[in-house]
Amino acid sequence: MWATNLRIVALVLGTLGLYTLIANEIPQVQSEVPQTLALGADVTPEQLVAAGERVFTGAGGCTACHGLGTRAPNLLTDEKGTGLIGERCGKREPGKSCKQYLYESLDNPNASVVPGYEPIMPAVTRQLPPAQVWAVIAFLESQGGSVDVTASDIPAQTPGLTPGASPGSAGGGALAGGSTDPMTLFRVGGCVGCHKLGAEGGAVGPDLSRIGARQTASQIRVSILDPDARITPGFENFKGIMPKTFGDQLTAAQLEALVRFLAARR
Amino acid sequence: MNGIRAAIRHPFWQALAILVIAFVAIEFGIPVLPDSADVPASVVLQYMVTVLVGVLIYVSDNEQRWTQFREPIRAVLVEPRLTPVRWSLLAAVPALVGWVAYGQVATRVEAPPILRSIHPAPPAEITFRSRPMTLTGLENPLRAVRDSLPDFVGEGKRIYYQNCLPCHGDHLDGQGHFAPGFNPLPANFQDDGTIAQLTESFVFWRIAKGGPGLPREGAPWNSAMPAWEDFLTEREIWAVILFLYEQTGRRPRTWEKTGDGHD
Amino acid sequence: MADGALLLQAVVDSLPAYREFPAIGSRAAVWIAAEVHLMFAAFVLGVPLFAVVAEAIGIFNKEDRYDRLAKEFTRLLLVAYSATAIWGVVLTFFLLTLYPRFFRYLSAIFGPSMWLYVGLFFLESFTLYLYYYGWERWKQGRAKWAHWSLGILLNVWGTIVMFIANSWLTYMMSPPRDVAPATDPTTIKVWHAIANATWMPINVHRLIANVVFGGAIVAAYASYRFLAARSDEERAHYDWMGYVGNFIAISALIVLPFAGYWLGREIYEYDESMGITMMGGFMSWLWVIQAFLIAVLFLAGNYYLWVGMERIPGAERFRPYTKWLLAILVVGAIVWGTPHTMIATSKEIAAMGGSHHPFLGVLGVMSAKNTAVNLMILTTFLSFLMYRRANKRPVVPWARTGTQIQAAMFIVAAAVVLFYGIRGYFVEAIVRIGYSVYQVLAVLACIVGVTVIDVMLGRGAVSRGDIQWGKMPPRSQYALFILAVTFTWLMGLMGFARSGIRQHWHVWQVMRDTSTSAATPALGYAAEMISVCVLIFLALVAFVFWLGGLAEKPTFVQTEATGGVHVGH
Repeated sequence: MWATNLRIVALVLGTLGLYTLIANEIPQVQSEVPQTLALGADVTPEQLVAAGERVFTGAGGCTACHGLGTRAPNLLTDEKGTGLIGERCGKREPGKSCKQYLYESLDNPNASVVPGYEPIMPAVTRQLPPAQVWAVIAFLESQGGSVDVTASDIPAQTPGLTPGASPGSAGGGALAGGSTDPMTLFRVGGCVGCHKLGAEGGAVGPDLSRIGARQTASQIRVSILDPDARITPGFENFKGIMPKTFGDQLTAAQLEALVRFLAARR
Repeated sequence: MNGIRAAIRHPFWQALAILVIAFVAIEFGIPVLPDSADVPASVVLQYMVTVLVGVLIYVSDNEQRWTQFREPIRAVLVEPRLTPVRWSLLAAVPALVGWVAYGQVATRVEAPPILRSIHPAPPAEITFRSRPMTLTGLENPLRAVRDSLPDFVGEGKRIYYQNCLPCHGDHLDGQGHFAPGFNPLPANFQDDGTIAQLTESFVFWRIAKGGPGLPREGAPWNSAMPAWEDFLTEREIWAVILFLYEQTGRRPRTWEKTGDGHD
Repeated sequence: MADGALLLQAVVDSLPAYREFPAIGSRAAVWIAAEVHLMFAAFVLGVPLFAVVAEAIGIFNKEDRYDRLAKEFTRLLLVAYSATAIWGVVLTFFLLTLYPRFFRYLSAIFGPSMWLYVGLFFLESFTLYLYYYGWERWKQGRAKWAHWSLGILLNVWGTIVMFIANSWLTYMMSPPRDVAPATDPTTIKVWHAIANATWMPINVHRLIANVVFGGAIVAAYASYRFLAARSDEERAHYDWMGYVGNFIAISALIVLPFAGYWLGREIYEYDESMGITMMGGFMSWLWVIQAFLIAVLFLAGNYYLWVGMERIPGAERFRPYTKWLLAILVVGAIVWGTPHTMIATSKEIAAMGGSHHPFLGVLGVMSAKNTAVNLMILTTFLSFLMYRRANKRPVVPWARTGTQIQAAMFIVAAAVVLFYGIRGYFVEAIVRIGYSVYQVLAVLACIVGVTVIDVMLGRGAVSRGDIQWGKMPPRSQYALFILAVTFTWLMGLMGFARSGIRQHWHVWQVMRDTSTSAATPALGYAAEMISVCVLIFLALVAFVFWLGGLAEKPTFVQTEATGGVHVGH
């Protein structure tokens, strides 16, 4: 009798186990709650902040600089006793509210660079859609300050923000006033923030001191215009950080000057 | 000779033969058919399990056959003359299990098998260039202007060759020059399983939102398809859709007629 | 006055929307409660359907064993009934405490129907008590008919109760289109909310599925008693009971896909994106698993019949053919299980030129699958027919012609199925969907026609020998167990599919699930939950059956008289 009972129990457990196993063998796909950034008119500050945090730590790539090392102010900690970004943002530029200041920092980052830092930040409004930009602002405000971003900000501020807008609109005219001096471009264009050239520069991207030995001029040109086309081995984790906007920011003469200069660094 | 004839009639050897034949047919037979390809390992396994269950049913649905089937197994387990076979099986079975287990856990350079939903559920509504757009029931507006269809197709053709060609290819078969570098591969519009199964609004959604707009089930590898809403206008996308259907000779899936319900 | 109302509203609004259940979380808690309740409910709704049929057969054919069978089922029902009620209460309290805001929303709409539900439940219980305890008392003459009508009444109450409960959950899936997130729930008319798009399809689907489920569980019960039996009479009785249970389960299963198809169609029609989520989206693999499970059902059901032919004199003449039936079933299972989008490594994908296999991909689409499953149904039906025919020699003069007509019907049905299956590849999707209706109609017509002829053929047929009930190898009984477990698991899986396609909505596009577990889990997790629910259910059912056995008056009088032991197990 017990043998029969055991056999039945084994059979039931075996069948259930088999089905469970099969269902677990196939790749598992969970249907997530969509985190849409279609921030409607009824969006709450909490939703904006939550969305902004995801952009800040994720797709926005902000933490590549604002978080490690000394390339940019750390926004989420007390920077030199001035408080978190939400506290200090309103005091940074006279006459500009926190919201205005943060928007300017994302739209035209080099307009007022924090003393002690290089003007290396790309114009975020050219990389992210407006809703995400405003979500990031809300998130930053929430770091020590109060959130005053509302849904009305989002459509109101959209003109000129679509990717691929007229070239050079971000910095107002060509970079560095049209200068074709490669070292000036290297510094003003922000390259120095990540790339080492001789004694200068950071270590986020590949060292360019002897780049001419590794790459031809045309490869360098491609890498400037389309940075992710080919990632130098070892830098895969930094993929996507380098702005894709240099094609718009540099004039042809500037680009060629820079390419010739880099190709000659052997 | 008699031994062979007896073996053919013996259910145990029959079962073994069926399994071997099935395996050969699936693994080597299907790929040599015209227009075919190797069968993925997961599918081979699935088919073989089904065949195995069938074989087990075959040998056990009749008392006599069942007894006969078990004879060789029993013989291997108890008969003294089969001691070498018994010992070699004793060694072979754990070795086989070990080999399979090793194969499962060994580190490989290849990415793990993936399951992507090729056609994830579309949203009912999208925001096209910050303008809401309802996808459900949406038809290609260009089809309404019947007289200018050839013009639209021509326009779509130009747009296709300017934008889509490198990946989706000259034949619209997903074999463009860039295609081999992508995972997932660019869609093959000639296939029964792509645009022929979809409504035009679905195709519109995929073109407008591209890889970045795929829901999660479209993961794990991100499609390289750009979000064309940033580069093409609504009309241009509709024109290129028209061209895709026109050129492949496929017809879009139509919406179910609603309102003819039963109760 | 208005202030008071506002204040009250404020208090209500400040209630938390969700509470957390310790350890396993709210979702898992409600999942288990709902699923186990549903399984018991299916059992207590399915078994009376068939107890009444069995009783009627007993009355018409004057066969006492059917009457005994019906009573034995009803006894199992009594305890299962309270288990259903207990789990229903567990579910209600879990919903009330864990999802208070959502439950308040539902009760605002469905309040009146909930009161009606409770009242009917009360009536149903008392009808059941009358039905069971009055069995011996109203056994003769006209009283027997009154007793039988009690059984009918029991089913009427049960069906209405189920329909009411179905309306709540179908409302969650397919609320009427004029209901918007901002709609005040108290302004929605009850009947308007009840008669939503998927209500009737679910009602029909569940009604049939309950019969299948009841039959499968009864068959499992019988097979257990068979294995535990100590005398030949007992073995014979339970062998027969297992056969009846299996017969009912499989015959109802054959119609179930059609009801499921109707439901799927309504879902598509209600919301295309919901339909695509179900069939092509993240749930698409669920259908491959489902195909696997149904293949198990077909194979195990046929296996049981084929093994059972051993005990039927005259069945030898059909034995050579069963292996070809098996071959059709295996090929059908292979076709049906072929995934459209295959799991493949990147190298394999590159070789195939996409996730669709250039050759096997043809088998992965609806036309092939419908064809395969329809042929499998026909095959199973043929197995049944052989089983029925095995020990009969027809005496009617037109027996030969009749059999030929039957064969012709099979051939025509198979040809129609194949024709539309192949033609489906050459037409538009919308036309193709219509084809499956023709395939289904051909199969149904064949089943009905052949059965009618068979019944007439069987008139006065000469027996080739009695079925030797009880002479069944134990492995056939294990097949019945696999059937029952698979049915139960499949029910859990389909429940997950139906409920999961709502994704992160409590009420589709009306009330959002904002709890921490709003995401719809992957299939692996769902499978684990389903297995747990099935285990809980089967363990409780085993307990219920054991209880039933404790109170049992010896069914086998002769056995008792001859001193045979038949007590516990």
